Amino acid sequence: MFALVDCNNFYVSCERLFAPHLEGRPVGVMSNNDGCVIARSEEFKALGIPMGIPTHKIAPELRRRITLCSSNYALYGDLSARVQSVLEARVPGLDPYSIDECFLDLRGLPDDLEAFGRELATAVAHEVGLPVSVGIAPTRTLAKLANRRAKRQPVRPQVCVWYDATTPELETVLRELPLTGIWGIGECLQARLAGQGIVTAAALRDAPRDWLQRRFSVVVARTARELAGISCLPLHALETPRRSVLCSRSFGRPLGDLDKIRTALRHHCQRAGEKLRRDDLQASTVGVFLRTSPFLGASQERSSAWGEFPFPSADTLLLNRLAQALVVHLWRPGTVYHKLGVMLGDLSPRRYHQPSLFDGCDSTRQERLMMAWDAIRQRFGHEALTLGVQSATADWQMQSRRRSPRYTTRWRELPRVGSR
Amino acid sequence: MRMMSPAPLLPPAPLKRGASGFPSPADDYLDTPLDLHRHLVPRPSSTFFMQVEGNAQAHAGFHDGDLLVVDRSLATRPGHWVIAVIEGELCLQRLAGTSRYLWLCSAHPNQSRLPLEADGDCRLWGVVSHVIHTLHATDRER
Repeated sequence: MFALVDCNNFYVSCERLFAPHLEGRPVGVMSNNDGCVIARSEEFKALGIPMGIPTHKIAPELRRRITLCSSNYALYGDLSARVQSVLEARVPGLDPYSIDECFLDLRGLPDDLEAFGRELATAVAHEVGLPVSVGIAPTRTLAKLANRRAKRQPVRPQVCVWYDATTPELETVLRELPLTGIWGIGECLQARLAGQGIVTAAALRDAPRDWLQRRFSVVVARTARELAGISCLPLHALETPRRSVLCSRSFGRPLGDLDKIRTALRHHCQRAGEKLRRDDLQASTVGVFLRTSPFLGASQERSSAWGEFPFPSADTLLLNRLAQALVVHLWRPGTVYHKLGVMLGDLSPRRYHQPSLFDGCDSTRQERLMMAWDAIRQRFGHEALTLGVQSATADWQMQSRRRSPRYTTRWRELPRVGSR
Repeated sequence: MRMMSPAPLLPPAPLKRGASGFPSPADDYLDTPLDLHRHLVPRPSSTFFMQVEGNAQAHAGFHDGDLLVVDRSLATRPGHWVIAVIEGELCLQRLAGTSRYLWLCSAHPNQSRLPLEADGDCRLWGVVSHVIHTLHATDRER
């Protein structure tokens, strides 16, 4: 049996943990740069404000009634790790699936899984202070559906258990469920399946599996088996392996100045290099893109340029040198830019110092430099060592005017408590 | 630095002594440096740090700027110092009551008992396990 534990309205719940006055009020969290709404409380949803709406398009009379927060990923990441460790202490296996969801392996646990599910939800609510819902079923695909069912329950803790795939309640759910409601089936696949007359989850489950495999893919055939209660999808089957690293961001305000753009680029290169080394990868190609604003009415200039490393590398300095050369090619005087990004492609597992005459790689010196680089930034903070001078108030930095304090990761931003 | 614990700390375990009466050399082998963080924060996933604002509870040892270690997983008993949510605000309060009923002691003389409700305007957030007071105020500005 598997469980999917999902934090309810995760970002909003994190905001409310240290700001209890936000409970019961409509609260929304905005994306990077405060551009659009990416998380909503139930009260916020009830006002009819859709997900993803650009912040400036929310009607002024609604704006007055709601609270909008900038995203505070330091806080969300810390609380997510706490939820995971509370769950991990209680089950034989745990696979995080996203910042607010994880799958649990329930093999060998007592028979009363409903009581166990309630225990899990209560433990997270008590120890971390966040509401979660728990779906339990014989396969991950069904656990995901059970979780959605649990979320509809009015009382906490929200738990839904389907002990086997023939539960009448599950049958009703599958008959009504459109294919896009199934884990791993996107709109494109849905359209292709619909072309063959398969429009509901029940129809997919009952379709001949070998035909599904021939006509579509192994994953689709396995998804059908999972719907029938046979666990056969490894967690990683539905994850696309990391094929590229992307670091991009809109500027806080449009930029035309090449020097400022190059400073922003250094920042992105730094982050891209760190992501690469964290996953123990090296890249062969670097792309830089520089875009003008789609809103400014000017002719959309979307330009990108790719360069190739002399050999696969994970060296930030080399990456920065190449990217800086590329951006100079892209930049046009008199043009105002909106967004800049760095992409690393052709990733491969990192090889440590394997000197070869024809097939170069980072030298031991470069590797040691990058190890020291990462260690210094980790220990003394990201401002301690940077590529060139990077001002904290630069124009291209993320806009997050309404970010709550980083309550759990900064000494200066701890919650303050008085007495009454 | 001064620390207060709501529960008395266990007395230190006696050193194991060998036949000669000296501590066994194996004890040295197993020793690791004392880790204050692990000592104060045995359950990191449920422990949060907060800071005291104001000197209203200075008589009880809580001074402005003191660091509080708050553990949400601790069981509550009368006499514990806790973080409570009162009308949407996090507050430092003292618990009182019996083993069955708990309430908060309010500083206001005309309303000395604040009853606790699970989902109401007055509820528990976590239990203060330690207060850390820095003696030299300049060190606080780290």
